[in-house]
Amino acid sequence: MNFWQRISFIDRRWIYLLVALSVLFPMIVPMQCPVGISPEARQLFEAIDSLPDGSKVMLTFDYYPSTIAETEPMSIVALRHMFSKDMKVVTLSNIPLGGPSIAERVTRDIATEFGKTYGIDYVNLGYKAGYVAVMHGLASSIERIFPSDYTGTPLRELPLMQHVENYRDLEFILAVADNATVDYWISIVNAQYDIPVGAGVTAVVAPKMYSFLEAGQLTGLLGGMKGAAEYEKLFKREADATRGMGSQSIVHLLIIFFVVLGNLGFFIHKEKQNK
Amino acid sequence: MPESISFIEHFQIWLRAFLILSLFSFLYKDNVFYKFSEHIFAGLSAGYYVGLIWQTVIIQQLVNPMFDEGHYELIIPGMLGVLMFARLVPKWSWVSRVSLAFVIGNTAGIYLISSIHGFVFPQIWSTMVSLGSPDGFHMSLISLILVVGVISTLIYFYFSKEHKGALGLTARLGVWFIMIAFGAHFGYTVMGRISLLIGRVEFLFYQWGGSLKQIF
Repeated sequence: MNFWQRISFIDRRWIYLLVALSVLFPMIVPMQCPVGISPEARQLFEAIDSLPDGSKVMLTFDYYPSTIAETEPMSIVALRHMFSKDMKVVTLSNIPLGGPSIAERVTRDIATEFGKTYGIDYVNLGYKAGYVAVMHGLASSIERIFPSDYTGTPLRELPLMQHVENYRDLEFILAVADNATVDYWISIVNAQYDIPVGAGVTAVVAPKMYSFLEAGQLTGLLGGMKGAAEYEKLFKREADATRGMGSQSIVHLLIIFFVVLGNLGFFIHKEKQNK
Repeated sequence: MPESISFIEHFQIWLRAFLILSLFSFLYKDNVFYKFSEHIFAGLSAGYYVGLIWQTVIIQQLVNPMFDEGHYELIIPGMLGVLMFARLVPKWSWVSRVSLAFVIGNTAGIYLISSIHGFVFPQIWSTMVSLGSPDGFHMSLISLILVVGVISTLIYFYFSKEHKGALGLTARLGVWFIMIAFGAHFGYTVMGRISLLIGRVEFLFYQWGGSLKQIF
């Protein structure tokens, strides 16, 4: 059995081990990877940055705990950006498993960092089933859909919510999502109620978003961990996503190497068979 | 990670690390630790979901408005919801079709509007681009690629005539555009999956590693 035949039958667990070591290497030997800024990430940053200080915005936590490596850094840096401009932030989640508690933890931590007060500077609405109905319902009355917040406090007792009745009172919506809910923030909320919507999505969802971006239905886009790292760089506060880019780059190089090696092996083996 | 963390936080970190490593152990081979973690996840998710729906929908949207605010009209959607359980009794399962008919009709109407208004029209408008862009040659070239890509891909999905001659050539060009789109999707998917791995390895390295360091 020659080299090319041997690599065709290599135990896949060796590849898993190499990938794991590649991810681990930059954590043991810290390395700085340059992060280029894409136009879509810059567009999102500038859209939020250009809002007047004290604007009222909505930030959604439409993601499961399984994808927090990609999505949570987006929520964190966006929230930091919003709080640094004294914006009033309303958060909610259309994801039952994990979404509301992630929103609660992230908003509480970042609010503490910026000295913000719950109910005055930010409110976490929590989760409500049936996101299409929820998105339509919020257009007429947020209180009708969410009579109380995540902790059970009636909305009418929260000072911020006395100034936010529906979408018309919001300047911008940033949908951070790992699933199809972002499609409906665009097709329902942006298209039917004319509210600017930006998106931070997982890398798996990102390619689909480019058609919305090109059509002007989205105001900026963050795609995966790279998108989060771009936002961190634009905000000049590098954190988890930027730190992960070292591992990301090494594993990508490894995968490219495997793809080239696999294809070479395939064609050489095929040519030998033809002979 | 903070200099010193409480016993409860140590316990949470170790529990998370145990479940992550148990699930990763499947990469070596199927085993009892993987199955244990998988079952815990399935059971916890189901329990959490039931509790959440009970509180946020049944209590907040049905019971409280009816009994605290006198919105007795909510008995109608409430009854429609109860009728769904008729499916559990074969003799009466047909009753659940009333609720299903309502859901299907309602959903079709809502999705039809949002699809046409939010997807179809804006996407069609955005492909109606000027080939002679005032922003320079490169924008004209991008517009041309966009138009050719849309038309050739649509032709690939036109099945009423055999793909021969000019139609066949255009359809083959459409396949190339589709393959490039698949390649972009695949690249992004790889990036996404690796990001998830990085997240878990970072947790194990920094948080679990930090906890290990503090304990020992």
